[in-house]
Amino acid sequence: MAEEEFTDINGNSISLDCQTHSAFCREFTVTSPKLSLRKVMVYTCFIWLFAYAVFFFTENTAVLSSAIILTLVGMMIHIHFVKVDHETLLIIGSLGVQLSSSYASGRESTIFIEMSKLKDIVINEAVYMHSIIYYLCILIKDPTDPETVASVVPLFQSSKPRLNCLVQVYRSCQEILAQTR
Amino acid sequence: MMVENSPSPLPERAIYGFVLFLGSQLGFFLYVVWAVVPDAWLHSTGLTYWPQKYWALAAPIHLLVTLSTCVVLLFGVNLMNTAPLASVHNITDHYAKSQRAGEDQEGVIPRLRDVPISEINRVFYLDAGAQ
Repeated sequence: MAEEEFTDINGNSISLDCQTHSAFCREFTVTSPKLSLRKVMVYTCFIWLFAYAVFFFTENTAVLSSAIILTLVGMMIHIHFVKVDHETLLIIGSLGVQLSSSYASGRESTIFIEMSKLKDIVINEAVYMHSIIYYLCILIKDPTDPETVASVVPLFQSSKPRLNCLVQVYRSCQEILAQTR
Repeated sequence: MMVENSPSPLPERAIYGFVLFLGSQLGFFLYVVWAVVPDAWLHSTGLTYWPQKYWALAAPIHLLVTLSTCVVLLFGVNLMNTAPLASVHNITDHYAKSQRAGEDQEGVIPRLRDVPISEINRVFYLDAGAQ
């Protein structure tokens, strides 16, 4: 239930919610900031002013209606496919890990990883665009060789939290994983 | 010894450099002469097969635009070659996988090797940070 001031890598504030359901089951929810009304208004105004300017020079009304349709469709696609409301990591010792992303339109996408496939949950640093960020990731075992890492599943991809948030989640997860091993 | 591969100044390198310097200055002077002198005077020397004067401006502009495009493309190629966050290359590579697990003898400096990321995480975030 701990809630401190966490931010993501760009400085926007996010919130972390840890729930301990039982001795071997914990759930972490990282909530991104909601879609800001000011940004929506600014984008809409710009697109519509630009469309009106084009209409002013071309005298073609199809520009205006297409701008309206474009704005609406763009907003729908954004809140359904792009804007993530919160991401959840549910870890159940000896059973597995469930990752779930919930989008602003209510859509939820979930992935489950069995404990037998999971090698470890670690904080790794990698180059991302122009900077180096910390990110939490799940190492998946290679079925043929248990010591090698076959693949990596990064967690909390949309709301990239900073190190203080990641360390809390990491310590909590390691407590559960230590019991399981 | 590695005398042939050292970057220190040598007489031959000085001569090469000076020859290149003189050659480039001469080349620039000839280019400016050809670009400025009118066609009639150039033809009167007996040489008639000169490139079009259009290229006196076009070639340097082509070169500058190519240079700036290459700078942008270099950033793009670097971004494309960066491994994504989900790539296993951020964790390990085939050199680290095939390294031998050496036994640490007493009082001896341990062998240099790649430490697995789980161990590093424990040292950074579990043991020391718990205080």
